[in-house]
Amino acid sequence: MPVGRRQRVATVGVAAVATALGLAACSSSSSSTAASSSSSAASSASSSSSAKLSGTLNGSGSTFQTTFQETAISSFKSVQPNMTVNYGSGGSGKGRTDLSSGVVNYAGSDSTIPAAEEANFKGKTVLYFPVIIGPITLSYNLSGLSKPLQLSAPVIAGIFQGKITNWNNSAIAADNPGVTLPSTPITIVVRSDSSGTTQNFSLFLMTATPSTWTLGSSSTIKWPSTARAGNGNGGVASAIKSTPGAIGYVDYSDAKASGLTFASIKNKDGNYVAPSSASASAAADGVTISPTLTFHAVWGTGAQAYPITYQSWVLVYETQPNANDAAMLKAYIGYLLGPMQQMSGSLGYAPLPSSLDQMATAQLSKIAS
Amino acid sequence: MAAVAGQPQQLDLREPKGWRRTSNRIVTWLMVLAFVLVVIPLGFVLVTTVVKGASIISWQFLTSSIPPNVAPADIGGMGPAIVGTIEITALATIMAVPLGILGAIYLNEYGGKNWLAALIGFFSDVMTGVPSIIMGLFIFTIWVLHFGFSGFAGALALACLMLPIVIRSTYEMLRLVPNALREGSYALGATKARVTMTVVLPAALGGIVSGAMLAVARAVGETAPLLFTILIVTTVNKNPFSGANTSLPSQIFVNANSPFVGAQARGWGAALTLIVIAFVLMVVARFITARFSRFSR
Amino acid sequence: MSTVTRADPATPAGSAHAALRERRPLGDRSFQILALACGLLVLVILVLIAVSTSQQASSWFSAEGFKVFTNNWNPAANQFGALAFIYGTAITAVIALIMAVPVSIGIALLLTEVVPYRWSRPIVYVIDLLAVVPSVVWGLWGIIVFAPWIQHIYTSIASGVTGIPVLDSLFGAPTSGASFFTAGIILAFMITPIVTSLSREVIATVPQIDREGAYALGATRWEMIRGAVWPHSQGGVVGAVLLGLGRAMGETIAVALVIGSSATITSHLFAPGYNMAAVIANQFGEATGEFRAALMGIGVLLFAFTIIINIIARWVVERSARRKRGA
Repeated sequence: MPVGRRQRVATVGVAAVATALGLAACSSSSSSTAASSSSSAASSASSSSSAKLSGTLNGSGSTFQTTFQETAISSFKSVQPNMTVNYGSGGSGKGRTDLSSGVVNYAGSDSTIPAAEEANFKGKTVLYFPVIIGPITLSYNLSGLSKPLQLSAPVIAGIFQGKITNWNNSAIAADNPGVTLPSTPITIVVRSDSSGTTQNFSLFLMTATPSTWTLGSSSTIKWPSTARAGNGNGGVASAIKSTPGAIGYVDYSDAKASGLTFASIKNKDGNYVAPSSASASAAADGVTISPTLTFHAVWGTGAQAYPITYQSWVLVYETQPNANDAAMLKAYIGYLLGPMQQMSGSLGYAPLPSSLDQMATAQLSKIAS
Repeated sequence: MAAVAGQPQQLDLREPKGWRRTSNRIVTWLMVLAFVLVVIPLGFVLVTTVVKGASIISWQFLTSSIPPNVAPADIGGMGPAIVGTIEITALATIMAVPLGILGAIYLNEYGGKNWLAALIGFFSDVMTGVPSIIMGLFIFTIWVLHFGFSGFAGALALACLMLPIVIRSTYEMLRLVPNALREGSYALGATKARVTMTVVLPAALGGIVSGAMLAVARAVGETAPLLFTILIVTTVNKNPFSGANTSLPSQIFVNANSPFVGAQARGWGAALTLIVIAFVLMVVARFITARFSRFSR
Repeated sequence: MSTVTRADPATPAGSAHAALRERRPLGDRSFQILALACGLLVLVILVLIAVSTSQQASSWFSAEGFKVFTNNWNPAANQFGALAFIYGTAITAVIALIMAVPVSIGIALLLTEVVPYRWSRPIVYVIDLLAVVPSVVWGLWGIIVFAPWIQHIYTSIASGVTGIPVLDSLFGAPTSGASFFTAGIILAFMITPIVTSLSREVIATVPQIDREGAYALGATRWEMIRGAVWPHSQGGVVGAVLLGLGRAMGETIAVALVIGSSATITSHLFAPGYNMAAVIANQFGEATGEFRAALMGIGVLLFAFTIIINIIARWVVERSARRKRGA
């Protein structure tokens, strides 16, 4: 064969192979199904409208909500098969940014819009829909302890400000009578991204021990220079898991799923309470809820309340650009407030108190186009 | 080497002794050590990826949708990411390769020695060293801010990355085509454009194709330009021109930060898929160069 | 690019553009214009990058002025001094070069001087394989496998050097698997292919006659390298090293995953740190207003640094190639 023809055959061959691969991938992935059969419980319940909607909803934000959102998205497929919902985690800060720049339809945020970010929303009303409650754990990587660790707020403040640097410090020992602590140096792990978990964790420290905590409460904190940072709750959990002597703050759902050990924290009543779905519900019972459905669950009262319980909202604009978006949001958020609440416990969250759930469901009607 | 005046020189043909020999040996072994130092981490990465990825790869893995991160390893797969990678990289190639070839044609056929061609050539080389994240920021500024996230925006960023690579490799191939071919064509009365398209390009085609494939191999593995342009999601998006998208390297990046065993396992599976794709492209490119390029240095 | 060009019979040397003015078929002329436009695209894109990103970053530069070069990064308080990131980029690049340059030159010399041609093909394949591993796979392996393993080594070294003056401040506690040094090691793996292949090209252009002359005088291989190869190729190798430096400064994803994300200036190489490319990758998605302008500005600085280093590198390589040809 003359050389020119050989070259042409080669080019055509390569192109054909590439096209074939592409077609194969496209056609087979269009018929793929989500294989998470464990969520069949939620999919069987039918909620509000049975009207078939179609379209795409995009959301982003809180990594605390990630497991909740991802599970809801795959089981929502059986309720509304023609709707596609996407949730990209990136931290509460990113969610609020994406919502204000119009990139997503809804945001997941563990904190309310701070004053500094209000201007980004250009005066449009944002509705808050609480969807989950859960504990922030102090997860640690320390072997050879006879009992799980116990910590109080001033000690935590000392650790995270770099003042307490070794595990066998007397302040930690005071919280843990009878336990021999190793002399390992402490590595603190924090969030590198703008995070609602950070904001609630620092709010807890600011409220519980204002005299010892000097770094304020915000989505990003100027941590001591020795702190190691991770991206998202998942990144912090990974870092703790792979670093002996590390301690960091991770939401309960991610900590449990990663197999981390966490400490019991001294609450307002003076009891050391371990994080769990029940202790988070106990903390949520006593909160004061504002008319806009915002509240703070940290440092609540209650003998069995877990002191670092926090919450997360879905934020949407009250006025949607078109009727289909409004209907899709109502359907999806209604699903989160309805059947998904029964699944919260198994995912590592606490379901909303029923009064709060009812108020939130009633607020759904405000979404209009 | 003793030399006595007036007598023919005695050449000392003995082997070097003592320190000279030892230092020579040491240096040779140092060079071998350098190579071994490189093979070890490469071996580790490849072996780890193959071992951890092979256990999860299956047809189901390559075609299923991306499950929640907490899902265990045997559920779901990376289908949308593979589709996204193919879409975005194909778009980028369609944009970058023709433009790159035309640019190289200008440099070699028309530019000659003039200052503009020298400038373009020099800065084309410089552009290959621009960090890929800057391309992402650039496309974010001029495209995403006005038209939103899409697979196409990601393709634009990748095309900016591929363009100088294609120009450089095509230029080298065009240079190798002997002038006699062109002269023969001119003698028959062809215009310059015709000569370039019908004589020069086909003669250099093997090398051009392989250079383009190497550029594609580079683009397939890039994450940074896509970070701000496609808004990484987990669902499949057949339309690269609107709506967020995903790609294999983007998913690996997301999963690398996850503590869940299932997500990490899927990350390794995606990494193995990515390495295989890039490796196949590289091997085919070398094969095409070896068998199909007419002219070589 | 090499300046060797061919005389073009259709257009006398230097008058490519004059040819446009002659009466030529429309198709021919428009093809030339099209090709010219595609060539200009490179320059246009570079200029657009510089202009558009600087424009986005202007609010940061105007708000901070020269304070951008202070070590004061606190987004919550609207303070955006970026020195910590510039330090991080410099340190990780230096660590990467210290490790990669001897290894790369060693391999290049191995390929050109020691190994017979038949055996050089597998070695070249290995180097190509090193180059083809994507950045994100290095990062995945780095954070999941490498960082936890090397943390034990760091801790042992740190406990070994406590008390020794200089070593303690470099290699002492705090130690973390994800740190400046880990990022430097991974960068070294990634820049080795480019420095090796470019050094090899440069060394291969040393005239064979010089090598033979040295051997004829009874030199050992090492003496021949020192006396005949090195003087010819040192300029080109310097250029190759500079290109490796540029690549090390700009490499993003692998570094973002293994550097530890802590914006701090410290001499402790085993401590978590941050770097210009990594902070942009990690924080850009959620940044608004002045924070975003600050990250864009860091991008502008990174672009400027890498462009300057690449220009110097290419100029050095070209100059040494030209000198060699003239010699």
